[in-house]
Parts: sequence; C-alpha cells; structure tokens
Amino acid sequence: MTDTKFILVVEDDPILKNLLGHTFAGKYQTLYASDGNEALALFEQYKPSLVLLDLMLPTMGGFEVLQAIRARTDAHKDVPVIIVSNLGQESDMEKARSMGATDYLVKAEVEIEEIVKRIEAMIASPQTPATA
Amino acid sequence: MGIRGLLALIFFATLALAVGFIYGLVAFLKERLFELFPPDLWPQADTALQILVLYGMVALIIFTTILMLLVFFLMSNLIVRPLKEIIKAMLQFSRDGEKGTLPNVEGTPREIRELASVYTDLVEKVDQVHRHDVEISRVKSDFISTAAHQLRTPLTGIRWALEALEKEPLTESQMALVTSAKEKGKDLVDTVGTLLDITSIESGKHKYEYSVFRIDELIAEVANDFAPHAGQSQVSLYYARSEAPLPEIRADRNRIKWILNNLLENAIRYTPAGGTVRIMADASEKHVRVRVHDTGIGIEDKDRSNIFERFYRAGNAITKQNQGNGLGLYISRTIAMDHGGDLNFASNENGPGTTFTLSLPLPR
Repeated sequence: MTDTKFILVVEDDPILKNLLGHTFAGKYQTLYASDGNEALALFEQYKPSLVLLDLMLPTMGGFEVLQAIRARTDAHKDVPVIIVSNLGQESDMEKARSMGATDYLVKAEVEIEEIVKRIEAMIASPQTPATA
Repeated sequence: MGIRGLLALIFFATLALAVGFIYGLVAFLKERLFELFPPDLWPQADTALQILVLYGMVALIIFTTILMLLVFFLMSNLIVRPLKEIIKAMLQFSRDGEKGTLPNVEGTPREIRELASVYTDLVEKVDQVHRHDVEISRVKSDFISTAAHQLRTPLTGIRWALEALEKEPLTESQMALVTSAKEKGKDLVDTVGTLLDITSIESGKHKYEYSVFRIDELIAEVANDFAPHAGQSQVSLYYARSEAPLPEIRADRNRIKWILNNLLENAIRYTPAGGTVRIMADASEKHVRVRVHDTGIGIEDKDRSNIFERFYRAGNAITKQNQGNGLGLYISRTIAMDHGGDLNFASNENGPGTTFTLSLPLPR
C-alpha cells in the first residue's frame, strides 16, 4: 500500500475538465481547480505529485501558478508540472520552459491517451532535477 | 572626387592657365614694346621685364593660394562638413534604422538647409510608416493567435469526446463514423497550427529548428506521401534520384518539407490528367537545387511577377477548383530566403508547364 498520489488538474473549461475526469477516473486521485488561486490552495492542502496546468485561466494565470510552485521553499517545489494549454506559440513554450515547466502539450494537438502516457512516465520517475 | 578635390583641380587649372596666358602675352608684346626703346636699352629693358613678370607671377601665386585656402575653408565649413554629417546620418538610418543626429545647419547655404529639412521630414515619414506597419503586424499576429486559441479550445473538446466515444462498445459502422470525425478533427487542428506557423514566419520572428539531413531522403519521403494523391489525379509522379548522393544540408527539415509539399501539391493540382510531375535534385559547389517540373496549365505572363505575393492567385488558378489560399508560395519563398536560399520558377522551354526551383545553401 503506497501513499495516495494526487494529481492536480487546473482547467477552466468544464467540458474539457469532465473529459479528462472521464479518463482519469479510477486511475488517479484527481483534484480539479478552475483558476489559479484555487489551484494554489489545493496544492498547499494536498501537495499533489503532479500538476496538469492550463495557461489561460481566470483571475490568476497558469504562468503565475507555475512561478508560485517553483518559488516554494519545500521539497514540493520540484513537482512535475505539465502545461496543457492551447497557447502553442514558440514564445509561450519557451517562457514556460524557462519558468521550470516539466513538459508542454498543446491541448488540441494531443489525445488524452498521450497525456496519460506523460503522467505515467513522470509518476514512475518523479524526481526531475531541480530547476531554479 | 569630392567637392574639395574638384575645387583644388579648378584652382590649379585656372592658375596654370593664368600663368601660361601671362607668359604668352608678355612674349607677344615684348617685340612691339621693345621698338619703343632705343636698341642699346634692350638688355636693361629685358631684365626689367623679366623681373616684373617674375614678381607678378609670385604675387599671382600667393594671391591665388590665399584665395584658394579661404574658399577651401569656407567650403569645408559651410558645405562639405554639413553634407558629410548629413550623409553619415542617412547611412546610419538606412543601415540600422537609427535616426542619428543632423548637424546644426544654421548659417549654411540654403540648399544644405533645405536638404537637412527635407531629410528630417523624410525620416519622420518613413518612421511613421514603419511604426504603423509594426503595429498592424502586431495586431494581426495577436488576432490570429487569439483566434487560433479560440478555435483550439472547442476542437479539443470535440477530439477528446470522440476519443472517449471510441473506447465505448460501438458497431463497425459507428466506429467508422467516429474515425472519420476524428480524422477531420485532426485536419482542422493541423490547419490551425499551419495558420499560426504562417503568421510567425510572415512576421519574421519564426525560430527555425535547424538540423543536418539529406535532402534526397526528404524528397523521396515527400514523393512517397504524394503518390496516392498523384494516382487519384491520374498524374504520373517521378522522382529522378541523382546518381551521386547529394551532400547534407543544414535546415529546418519540417519547413523544407512544407515547401516541397506545397510545390508538389501545386504541381499536381495544376497538371491535367495524363500529365507528368517530375522531381529532380542536384548539387553545385554552394547549393543544392530541387526542381519540380510539371506539364500543367503553366503561369501566364501577367501573373509571373505576382505569384510570390501573399494571397495572390493567378487568374487561371482561380478557375480551377482548388483550396489554395494564396499563401503557399509566398511563405515557401520566405522560408527559402530565411535559409539563405531562394525559390523561383520558369516556364518549360519545350512543352507546356512550369518548373519550380528551390535552392538551398550548403553548409560551409
């Protein structure tokens, strides 16, 4: 019996959230947040092992959430963060990478299957080198 | 030759002419002048004349030199120096786009002041147009990336829902429907991606991902991809591989593939059934050259200079049923030029059709 591993999914579109939930149900303990503030509050409470993060969010955007996570002082600051966004410009990807995103997927271009694969790969070897 | 050189030349020429003229005049008048004196005074008169002429010359040279220096000084300060500074500012503007500082032209001749003021106006105009252009291109690029984002979100929902549906127990015909819908969904996503790529390439801010690869392998791959399409259109598609393997090039493979896709798509589209599309590739010392030769409807003279313009579609292209958006060749050429190469075309000399030639530089 291992510790329960939580995955935090930050997604503001309810339909996309449901579709992800449909696939994740039974696979992971999933937490859902639909904006940045909610995401950070849930992060604080549950210390998830992985975050799927959208970028265009109401109130507080994904980049800020990523920044806040990477700015933590505890061990959770290095949690894998996969950006799953429909912003797909090279500049967005570069910005996310420079801010410490572990992976970047353009939502419309991937199937949920692919997202699951990435999650599996990261949960299997969760410790990525610390990025400042 | 500069203004000052020209001035010096004029001065020396005038001086030489003046000296020659005086000597000639003296020699001419000497005979007649001497007739006024008794012959025993001639030697004395001759000496006096020589001294007179000598002094006259020295005085002339000194006077002209002083005058020349004065004119030089004035010209330098009033014309040459301000001109040079204006030219420097112009150069700086044309090279780096920096406005530079114009000299203080007060007290210079009217023409110089006019030049400076006209130039200042011109720079202001160019700058205004440029800022306007930058702004338009920014707005356009923002608009397209927002639109792309807006398109992608519902598309994601459609694709993910179909993906989930696919996992349900479905009959064969239901499955076929889901598969078609998925395929079309993917096409739409790709189109949105292309739209974004085009925007970024067009804005000149695109980051190419360079790698080293063999163009002949890429051509074979693309030719292979197009074989079914050519078959459907009853066009014979050949890739005549050169005997010697082509050298490797350093380029963005996906973008070069995009150009080749475009060229082949056009070639097949505008070639009537029964025609031929032939791809050839060779290398010179500095370039590799890929030629796509078709036996199609050709490009009319009036369209020749325009087909690389964005959104341009040749008159005889519009009448054909096709989905061209008029951006393909424009973007293709932009990509080729960004790589230091070029994309061009020529009408076939013997027989109908057109040959497009893509050339790319070899790594040095």
